[in-house]
Amino acid sequence: MSDASGNSIAVDYRGSPTPLLKLGLATTFLTVITLGIYRFWARARIRRYFWSALAPGGDALEYTGTGLEKFLGFLIAVAFLAVYLGLVQLGLFFAGLSMLSEAETQAQAIAQVAGQYLTFIAVLPLIFYAQYRGRRYILSRTRWRGLRFGVEKAALGYVWRGMWYSFVTLVTLGLLLPRQMFLLEKYKVDRTWFGTGRFEQGGNWWMLYPAAKHVIFGLLLIALPIMAVAFSAEPVLWPFAVVAVGAVWLPVGIVYYIVHSFRILTGHKTLDGVIGFSSQPRTGKVIGLYMLGSTAASLIASTVATLLLGVAAGVLAATSGGAEMLDLDAMIAGDMPFDQATGMLAVAGLALFYMVFIVLFAALALVFIRQPLLAHYANETTILNTGGLRNITQRAGDEMVEAEGFADALDVGAGI
Amino acid sequence: MSETETNTAPATFYDGQTPVSHVVSLAVSDDERLLQISGAELEPEHFWPLDDIREHRDQALRHGALFGCRTGGAARLTVHKPDTVAAMRAMCPNLSQRDVPPRTYRKVAYWGLGAVASVLLIVFAIIPALANRLAVLIPVEQEVALGRSVMGQLEGLLGSDRTGDLTCSSPAGEAALQKMVARLAGQIDSPYELQVRVLNNGMTNAFAVPGGQVVLFRGLIGDATSPEMVAGVLAHEIGHVVNRDPTRLMLRSAGSAGILGMLLGDFTGGAAILLVSEQLVTAKYQQGAEEEADAFAHAVLAAAGLPSAPLGDFFLLVREKYGDVDGVLSHLVSHPDLEGRARKAEQADVTAGGFTPVLSDTEWQALRRICADKATGVEGSPE
Repeated sequence: MSDASGNSIAVDYRGSPTPLLKLGLATTFLTVITLGIYRFWARARIRRYFWSALAPGGDALEYTGTGLEKFLGFLIAVAFLAVYLGLVQLGLFFAGLSMLSEAETQAQAIAQVAGQYLTFIAVLPLIFYAQYRGRRYILSRTRWRGLRFGVEKAALGYVWRGMWYSFVTLVTLGLLLPRQMFLLEKYKVDRTWFGTGRFEQGGNWWMLYPAAKHVIFGLLLIALPIMAVAFSAEPVLWPFAVVAVGAVWLPVGIVYYIVHSFRILTGHKTLDGVIGFSSQPRTGKVIGLYMLGSTAASLIASTVATLLLGVAAGVLAATSGGAEMLDLDAMIAGDMPFDQATGMLAVAGLALFYMVFIVLFAALALVFIRQPLLAHYANETTILNTGGLRNITQRAGDEMVEAEGFADALDVGAGI
Repeated sequence: MSETETNTAPATFYDGQTPVSHVVSLAVSDDERLLQISGAELEPEHFWPLDDIREHRDQALRHGALFGCRTGGAARLTVHKPDTVAAMRAMCPNLSQRDVPPRTYRKVAYWGLGAVASVLLIVFAIIPALANRLAVLIPVEQEVALGRSVMGQLEGLLGSDRTGDLTCSSPAGEAALQKMVARLAGQIDSPYELQVRVLNNGMTNAFAVPGGQVVLFRGLIGDATSPEMVAGVLAHEIGHVVNRDPTRLMLRSAGSAGILGMLLGDFTGGAAILLVSEQLVTAKYQQGAEEEADAFAHAVLAAAGLPSAPLGDFFLLVREKYGDVDGVLSHLVSHPDLEGRARKAEQADVTAGGFTPVLSDTEWQALRRICADKATGVEGSPE
């Protein structure tokens, strides 16, 4: 508990399945019956739970954001974005119509391909802007030991850097993606504060390449055999087996990169110049938790939804025997085509199954996927040289009326 | 996940200024209005008015609870012992009150209005106006290409994958159809080459796709009581073609689809709501287009010396078969108020003194058997 005596503290995870399942079911249900409006409150409540479950040194984080301020932020974003997005979409569809006609010259062909990427480019600056502001909002609503986190107002610098690095990544065919990732992370981290203490991202961008080794190997496993087939005169079969191996290797390699780049970046972060971090999540564990969790969640959700559908159909058959006879008369008289009536019942049944499945799956995914993954990351994380925390004091609050409305409107918000 | 609560102290306190955890004891002042929070190193003691104490819900604490104070800034009190939590809940009257910053609801109202105005402006004013301008700018050959791809998709939906080509083309029926088309086409000035086809489907329906293609369903010809009725429907669809309605409609929905997606988010079940709202917007767009196509049809029929009353009879026939839609639901369908449209068609009829039939009796019978070369039709439910 006291950081003067201990030099490092572990991060506890204290969430448990039952309260989270209840919270997930309640918030998802409310979201569905309010046609999505409750989603802002749902997000705030679930964050409050996850934050309070993360306890570095036994002291829980606190999330102080509210659904109302998220809703207000969303309204502000819609007021600004609706006209812009509508114009962009219409313009692009119009431009896209030219793609239906055959390209006659090479210039036309290039223009057509360029047109396809236009949607993305038109909203890309907004996405970077929304991501930076969203992160600033979330951290301004996060506290630990009573002190606020905070992020400097610097979204515009993030936008042009993000655009430039993405361009460089694109023209180098993804080879410089680790550089983009590192530089953007450094931009964000160097502007992040805990109380009066500033975070800093140390290291350099090429330190992330070892984490990418399995991605590169997986890509080679796919690319080389294809080239072998293309350049060999005789028809050969062995390359296809290698491609199959590569198709499994690559996704695993991507998870390996995500996990290990997180390790490296975390290990090179400091707070207030002295406090360090270490995090050692494991690729196998992450994949295992994810696969196990999603299998369990979908199995349970579909089983329960099927059972409910069966019960509903049974009740319907038992109670409406007489009514059905009347309907049948109407059908024979031609007032209502038979296939239309049964079709409506089938659609209603399908809709019921879909809704129950979706509500259940969303809640179960919290319990079976998100929480175990978060617990794994937390348990593998240590904060070092915590004596330095004594020098840190409170910082002023950051109002941010528009909250993370832009991220919500563009659907690029944080996972939780 | 720690199975036991490690903290055995009754309560811990953060003053909201320093990251130091204080083990504190709690007491209630003599007048029972203040909570006194005192700890060995907590200087000064804190006093929270019981009325202002709030409990922060949705916390992952096994036995404890987290409290703050409306007037206490960022200070937080975590009570670990269940009986102390119970005592706090009994003593503090406003624990569940949410303190909303002043003028928040007014801001929500203003920005809510702003957001609604912005969406209405783009969906119902800017996009339709732009779509109308752009539809005229699209070169005809691109519209034709677009129409071909739309037709391909539609035929796929109607089951051409299972049954092969759906176009009916018995020679005598085809000749009758082209005679009817020629009589109407002679009255109009269209940049498109009109391509009228009959598809082997039981629905009483007809539609136009971008670029001059018009499709009649076998069901429509089967239900029609006279060749003039088919000609009336055809004139209506030609009206859509000449007004470029299918193209405008596609441009409009392309513009508004993204907005609706943004408003609804990716929340659970959102896809279903999205479909309904899109239908709503599309139908609103289309209702105006239907009236214009009707007016166009009346004019063309009159110019070709044909009656428009059978078009009105067709509307009544559809209404009898599928029912009219009034009230709230009328916003959801694109072709409302069939009776009103029938009345207008009746009124526009200028052939009181008789007319030359559009097809002879033999030709009419041939048109009705245009799908005879297809074995059995693919039945579908009405739109």
